[in-house]
Amino acid sequence: MPEPILATRAASKVFGGLAAVNSVDMEMEPGQILGLIGPNGAGKTTFVNLVTNLSPATSGQVFFKRREITAWPPHRIARAGLARTFQVVKPFRRMSVRENAAIGAMFGAGGRRRSAREATRRAEEVLEFVGLGAEQEKQADQLTLAGMKRLELAKALAMEPEVLFLDEVMAGLNQKEIEAAMTLIRAINARGVSILVIEHVMKAIIGLCHHVVVLNYGKKLAEGAPEQVLNDPLVVEAYLGSKYAERARAARKPE
Amino acid sequence: MPTSPFDRLLGNRRRLVYGVAGAVALAALLLAPHLSLSGFTLTWLTTALLLAVRAQAWNFIGGYTGYAAFGNVAFYGLGAYGTAVAMTRLHWPFIPSMLAGALLAAAYSVLIGLPVLRMRGQYFAIATLGVAEATRELVSSPQLSGLTAGPTGINLPFFRPAGLTPLQAAEAGTRYFYLAAVALLVLVVAATWLLTRTKLGHSLVAIREDEDAAHMLGINTTWAKVAAFALSAFFTGLVGGHYAYWRTFILPEEVFNIRYTLDAILGAVLGGPGTVVGPVLGGFSYDALSTYLTFSKPFGFDLGQFHVAILGVFIVVVIVFLPRGIADLLGRRRFHWGIFLENIRKNRA
Repeated sequence: MPEPILATRAASKVFGGLAAVNSVDMEMEPGQILGLIGPNGAGKTTFVNLVTNLSPATSGQVFFKRREITAWPPHRIARAGLARTFQVVKPFRRMSVRENAAIGAMFGAGGRRRSAREATRRAEEVLEFVGLGAEQEKQADQLTLAGMKRLELAKALAMEPEVLFLDEVMAGLNQKEIEAAMTLIRAINARGVSILVIEHVMKAIIGLCHHVVVLNYGKKLAEGAPEQVLNDPLVVEAYLGSKYAERARAARKPE
Repeated sequence: MPTSPFDRLLGNRRRLVYGVAGAVALAALLLAPHLSLSGFTLTWLTTALLLAVRAQAWNFIGGYTGYAAFGNVAFYGLGAYGTAVAMTRLHWPFIPSMLAGALLAAAYSVLIGLPVLRMRGQYFAIATLGVAEATRELVSSPQLSGLTAGPTGINLPFFRPAGLTPLQAAEAGTRYFYLAAVALLVLVVAATWLLTRTKLGHSLVAIREDEDAAHMLGINTTWAKVAAFALSAFFTGLVGGHYAYWRTFILPEEVFNIRYTLDAILGAVLGGPGTVVGPVLGGFSYDALSTYLTFSKPFGFDLGQFHVAILGVFIVVVIVFLPRGIADLLGRRRFHWGIFLENIRKNRA
């Protein structure tokens, strides 16, 4: 097994008395698309905030490319090559679409060697790639929701990350848009970017991920290949309740 | 800059238009002292220019970065006191003294910015307000009176070039301080314009629009905010130094008076925060109107008694019809009266 590009050891985040993330060990291999799933409130976004240090871990460690980054400020982690999108999109509303993506190109992993003007060129390429080529002049708040999700992706990609966290980029998209997003994510992965996908759209998880980790009540409940994990009775129970899980089990193994 | 309706439309021809407009405005400002204007008129223009500079200085932190700084008078007062101390105790010439005062203000802004800029929104506003009050008390405290002369204030040397009679020197001084104010305005506008072309400028706007997202994209938000605060303090401090030498006497309660915070914010907001020319237009027109109302008597009618009421109406009208400031008018491709109604509709709660 290759050296993981990203790993957490006993990572925890406690709010008041509640452990939103409870001693989670996770490893991500280079080039992998890793799925992170779990019911609402399982701690998925908190986990992402913890790794990117937007909200610091209460305890535990985070490693990125073999270096411990647990206490690094978010901008340093970003510059080291870890980018993320936000579940609730965070466009710079009163900037144009192009300027939004240019910020990522200016300050991300590749930002140091770029001038503001070169960053704008890079932004144009990335916007073309995610399918926003025709909307670069628009002010960001004039995009549709699907457009804003693409913009989130463009901002993160413009940073030239090695690891990309996608926090529910498909929520609220229609079937066609989900297909398009999946194609896009595969294309990004094909360029060598390791991706962590948080998603409730199971079709996307099965279609994309090499490996899936399930969180429930802040703890790692299961992990493994997507089909195997999604058929795990514990996982079904976590999502749908014990009654449904029993019925599902009964249906699968008629006596 | 990304945000200003201006720069978004800056095609090559627009850039030419603004270049020419700027050159004409600068030429007019430089010609003014040769037009045999009265000393009163030049003084009037000087105070209006100084407010334009302070509004533009506030714009770095308040307009571009979106941090409602309510303590910029601290930098004004420190600029004035730094200049006064350098001129009276160290016997430095005016311009190095003014620079020293401004650098003192900038250093102070870094010191207080590091803790205070961690707060956002109204917490930041109140913290800066408190810092400014504390700074005034500090400067007028008896413990520091060896340096600042405490509440008695400092007398600065008069502007008196060699070989001039006192009367000639006073006239030359009026012109000198006017031209110095023009120079400060050119400096602060040039600095703003340059800033909008740098990564730092972009990072400030990103912080204003969404600080968490900015941080996640790799922006060192602490550093960027402190830099914006220091720029704001530096230029505000320069104006304080100008004021000290011009007035030749400063007192803590005068140069740390909160009205110097408020009128700068007002100028920037009326003109259009986060734009290169807005705060200049807003600051200049607000102060010019204020002085005009105080002293002029059109058709023998004394406007002075309605001074505050008329200024109030002016502010309300601008905020209601042009919530993005006077600069909003300049950024449009075409002017039509519907703009005002559109603005009202867009900003209705």
